[in-house]
Amino acid sequence: MGIDIIDYESCSAAGVNLAQLRSSLAQHKSGLVKNCLTGSDIDTWIGKVADVDAINDLKEWQSRNNALAALGLEQGSILNNVSALIKKYGAARVGIVMGSSTSSIDRTETAYQALDEAGGLTTAFKQPLVHNPHAPSLFVAHYTGVKGPSLTINTACSSSAKVFVTAARWLNLGVVDAVLVGGVDTLCLSVLHGFNSLQLLSANPCMPFDHNRDGINLGEASGFAILQRSGDNANRTGIQLTGYGESSDAYHMSHPHPEGLGAKLSMTQALERAALKASDIDYINLHGTSSRANDLIEGGLVSELFPKTTQCSSTKAWMGHTLGAAGITEAIICMDVLLTSLMPGSMNLAQLDDAIDFSIQAENLTKNCTHVMTNSFGFGGNNCTLLFSKER
Amino acid sequence: MNAKTLTCKVAGVGAWGANFENWHDLQALLCGQPLPDKPQKGPKPAIIPANERRRAPLPVRLAVESSWQAVQHAQVEPASLTNVFVSGLGDTDLTDYMCKVLASENKELSPTKFHNSVHNAAAGYWTISTNTMTAANSVAGYQESVSLALFEAMVQCEAEGVPMLVTFYDAPVSEVLKPLLENTHAFAFSLVLFPSVSDHGMAISATIREAIAPEWPTLSAQSDYLQSLYTSNPCARVLSLAEMLMQQNAKHDAITMPLSEQTTISFERVQP
Repeated sequence: MGIDIIDYESCSAAGVNLAQLRSSLAQHKSGLVKNCLTGSDIDTWIGKVADVDAINDLKEWQSRNNALAALGLEQGSILNNVSALIKKYGAARVGIVMGSSTSSIDRTETAYQALDEAGGLTTAFKQPLVHNPHAPSLFVAHYTGVKGPSLTINTACSSSAKVFVTAARWLNLGVVDAVLVGGVDTLCLSVLHGFNSLQLLSANPCMPFDHNRDGINLGEASGFAILQRSGDNANRTGIQLTGYGESSDAYHMSHPHPEGLGAKLSMTQALERAALKASDIDYINLHGTSSRANDLIEGGLVSELFPKTTQCSSTKAWMGHTLGAAGITEAIICMDVLLTSLMPGSMNLAQLDDAIDFSIQAENLTKNCTHVMTNSFGFGGNNCTLLFSKER
Repeated sequence: MNAKTLTCKVAGVGAWGANFENWHDLQALLCGQPLPDKPQKGPKPAIIPANERRRAPLPVRLAVESSWQAVQHAQVEPASLTNVFVSGLGDTDLTDYMCKVLASENKELSPTKFHNSVHNAAAGYWTISTNTMTAANSVAGYQESVSLALFEAMVQCEAEGVPMLVTFYDAPVSEVLKPLLENTHAFAFSLVLFPSVSDHGMAISATIREAIAPEWPTLSAQSDYLQSLYTSNPCARVLSLAEMLMQQNAKHDAITMPLSEQTTISFERVQP
């Protein structure tokens, strides 16, 4: 399929940019803090990006979600590279695929706190381009000047993994020459109180795959990557998207399939598409939310499918579960292993769950890797697996 | 100039609105038949198990009803189709519920309403009800929802060589957001698309071109109801394609929709 990764950047509580994320991963420095979201008294930990609070000049585009997207786009060389691609191919030949679960519902929540006496929206909140699920792509197109097709994928926590797949198809069919993919989701009352209603939040820093794990921590993040057809751009990372799998559980809106059938399909599809065996995979960044159910089911599947030579970890203890942004955040961590050879450990893992039989530990490891994989599973039983390889 | 043409075959159609309960009735309205005496309330798709159906929000029931019709029309197993679901506005009733609760003192949310509030709720209910384990994409494109979802489904049909279900649905907007998002109509429409090598279905092509985005095509049908539906409900913009698909309709054999600020997508019926 031959899709080159030209550039990528990540913005989360574990680092406002890729350089800071690398340093947090190397030093086991978590960005999780006690819940301090305005208006929420839930006893949990969150991964908040403090720098977003100061971004309040987006005018008719203002929302926390758009602010986090803007902050992410300002990091590293993403914007410069997008501008160069627009110059080279024309703005209509560059596409956007964004993933999000909250879009800008943070702004709708705030609007409802400031309704006028008649119960209507007040002037500052009359933002049709913000109060709709396509808001992330509309804003990113506006911010970057991209004028080709721009689509938002909202499949809950698999959203910004699926953006890579959609972009790969657009490129392979030649409808665009480059795609800016991204994911953005922000902490807001809807997700904190929603996950709390499902009794999924932990009052402690999360500890994926640990025997004593007791729930998830939510976080916010934005992440971006630029994709092109293989060989079209000499200025690239040397990483390729070589496989992907997409599937549905057909089981329940908020519980994973008890045997992980959908997740198994997406992992095996990714291997088949890349023409690789399980033993070829050096590292897997697991979905690993730290919920009792996910980690048990995903852990069981990975134990069954992969040999001990495949190193695994969940990195959610660094920035929390960033929902619609988790797919790309973890895809970036995964891709970066191919460049840095630093395989992050599963931070906070003290006593491994008995049901798990694969290679995982808290400490980081160093290994020159060739093929890496990442899993993202969402509500509605929506699964996506991505496989990245070093360019030969 | 770069232009790219995608092809597929339309093998099944489903439709539901307050004044039509299937594709047959919708075609009659598009041909100028009068509206029924009384509009219907939301659909009750039998494919969703009864206990789940009671809790299923209107956008989900709209999407599942028209999807089921299209699958039956195409005479295929739903589990054999890969899925694209699109809503331009999302479930504003649930947004309204959550934002009201969260603006109040007691912020306790219903767990069912919370999990139903995800944009991919329709895709979730559909795959669960039909035991479909293929990929289900759930996308949004605001005013370009129809052109973007058709584009995404035809890309997937051609790139992966798989049969597709694409469903467009938008429900009336809740009171607070109505001044911004306008729509007052319930609407859903579904297509089953086969790869163009298939023997079945009506062949259509979609050509993507670089051009300043045009206005949406004019709807031939003149009734106030259809005109209002077409202009205010983002997913009802698919009615322009529906007119093209109607066998007896020779007026439109090609239509052009805006795809993005500088791209357009033109659909044509391909003569055998």
